[in-house]
Amino acid sequence: MQVALKIWRYDAVAGKRALREYEIDAPEEATLLDCLDIVKDQVDGSLAYRKSCRMMICGSCGMRMDGAAVLACKTRMYEIARAGHVPVISAMGNLPIVKDLVVDMEPFWGKIRAVQPWLEPGYSDPGEKEHVVSQERMDVIHKESLCIMCGCCVSECNSMESDPDFLGPAALAKGMRFVGDPRDRATVDRLQSYSGEHGIWDCTRCYFCNERCPKGVDPRDAIAKLGAEAMKEGIDSDMGAKHAKWFVTSAKTTGWLRETELVPKTQGIAKSLKEVTFAMGLLKHGKVPPPVPPHVAKHVDEARALYDLVQVQGRDGAAGITQSEKALGRLEHAHGGGDAAQRGPYGSGAFAKPFLPGEEPAP
Amino acid sequence: MRTVAYYKGCLASLSAKELDTSTQALAPKVGLELIELEAVTCCGAGDIHEAEPDYYLHLNARILAYAEETGADTLMTICNVCTLNLRQANHALQGDDALLARVNENLVSVGAPPYSGGVEVLHFLWLISAGEGYELLQGAAHKGLKGLKIAPFYGCQILRPSKLLGFEDPDKPQSLERIIAACGGEAVDYPAKIKCCGFPIIQAREDVALAELIQPIEQAKEAGADAMVTPCPLCHLSLDAWQSKLYKQTGKDFQMPILHLSPLVGVAAGLDSSELKFKRHVVSVEPVTEKLSV
Repeated sequence: MQVALKIWRYDAVAGKRALREYEIDAPEEATLLDCLDIVKDQVDGSLAYRKSCRMMICGSCGMRMDGAAVLACKTRMYEIARAGHVPVISAMGNLPIVKDLVVDMEPFWGKIRAVQPWLEPGYSDPGEKEHVVSQERMDVIHKESLCIMCGCCVSECNSMESDPDFLGPAALAKGMRFVGDPRDRATVDRLQSYSGEHGIWDCTRCYFCNERCPKGVDPRDAIAKLGAEAMKEGIDSDMGAKHAKWFVTSAKTTGWLRETELVPKTQGIAKSLKEVTFAMGLLKHGKVPPPVPPHVAKHVDEARALYDLVQVQGRDGAAGITQSEKALGRLEHAHGGGDAAQRGPYGSGAFAKPFLPGEEPAP
Repeated sequence: MRTVAYYKGCLASLSAKELDTSTQALAPKVGLELIELEAVTCCGAGDIHEAEPDYYLHLNARILAYAEETGADTLMTICNVCTLNLRQANHALQGDDALLARVNENLVSVGAPPYSGGVEVLHFLWLISAGEGYELLQGAAHKGLKGLKIAPFYGCQILRPSKLLGFEDPDKPQSLERIIAACGGEAVDYPAKIKCCGFPIIQAREDVALAELIQPIEQAKEAGADAMVTPCPLCHLSLDAWQSKLYKQTGKDFQMPILHLSPLVGVAAGLDSSELKFKRHVVSVEPVTEKLSV
């Protein structure tokens, strides 16, 4: 089949970017990675990209197609070529470009290292026998263990685009893999460390990470598990944790969110007093509903009783999320409308803008 | 008329009442009879899912159970975050008999109805951008938007994760564009229409949130939009109310009117000002209403 590709080239020596189009003949089963190999072999040997295993396990070939991060070796080209679509291939976002499709993964690895991705065993020598971990306990970190650290989630992370220091979806999912491991004895230290300024509560819940992950890790869900475990351990002084707690308080007292009290409950009285001018602006337009009398849901006693019930049923913390994974894991990434081959490029800026060496990351 | 259970969620009950009044007024014009749920609570907005996930599941199961009790097979939402939270819980319960049985036992023990798994959660956007709802919308939007340039802003949790939402291509959605066109407006395109508005962290990490928020507003302005429209009241609140903070921080005074989905269609369908309640917007909608002589 004939395959046409547009590739964003970057020459680090000259500091120049250029969008080049290539047309090649490829077998029908070819993946994007196969097509890049053909371009490199037959058309332009200077094209740079990373690859290794060619079978979705090494995590080397993360890149963007039409603005969306993919593993090149997992992306079949047949339907795209048949539709006559010419996809735009570019380097991943949120990481500096070294050359063409190769990004500098050092900021990525730095964050992985920051979560201390190794077991801190606190147990005594098991002697003759092995430590046995139950299937139920392994289920808590099953998805997180699937990560191949390709960076597709980080590429599109909206929070990291706005806060380059955000630990991000890959590192936090890795952190959950150890927090949830029953052999690890550093859980509380980990949760305190991950609850810092650029940690768990920096996630904006854009769900790009879940959407892009080629291995089904669902990093956003891992971050929610970390939040649940942190709060279970009483590590809840961050404003993000206080914000989350107020929703629980609201649900079990009035049923509906006690919206006007949310700001002081999240930020504290002193900080929220600085927001008086802003709040007055909203008040004029009815955006600050009076907290008294409270807006109480009918039969709210049921919501209160449910809260008390679930407290003693042992599904607290991450287990409350893991219990749904069996059913949710059967759902395929899919959508009712459109065809992947019909997707057009959104152009630059559609996702986190890749930044070039020497450029500052987005503010 | 298609009868649906109607879950308006927290904001449309409180700071975004205009979304509720306009939706209620618009519904019969697009073939929907709404049965408003009263004995329901907050869906948890993703926050209870994170703080107390088992409680989140029970609260949402209870909402689904009350929806099912009305006899309707559809629970209609008007908020992205409610949509994701309810659909996630619904898939988890529908796909796991043991989990459903445990949750039901708890629901019944506190006096709530049990849930059998027979409800589908659909956002109002989906009901009026395809099928019969869309055909009725085309007829109802007779007053038209007179070529007004509208920037569609989807928000995250109506697109992603697509395995839970699944209505349209999460990277190239078209439902809002179809609606804008049916109402006689012109949809402008811009890259950040599928990105995050920053709302979930706007109180805990305001600077990070504002750096997200400015992108869609700035791009919509550059694309020549007269106004933006969003199907989510949380996106609406950040896009509308936090523009003053963007001005303070960056000196850029966008003055971009932000419309909820229902009032946008409502203007085209001739709803009156008591239903549209444009005075409840922080950024004035007057430039839009003047153009349309509402």
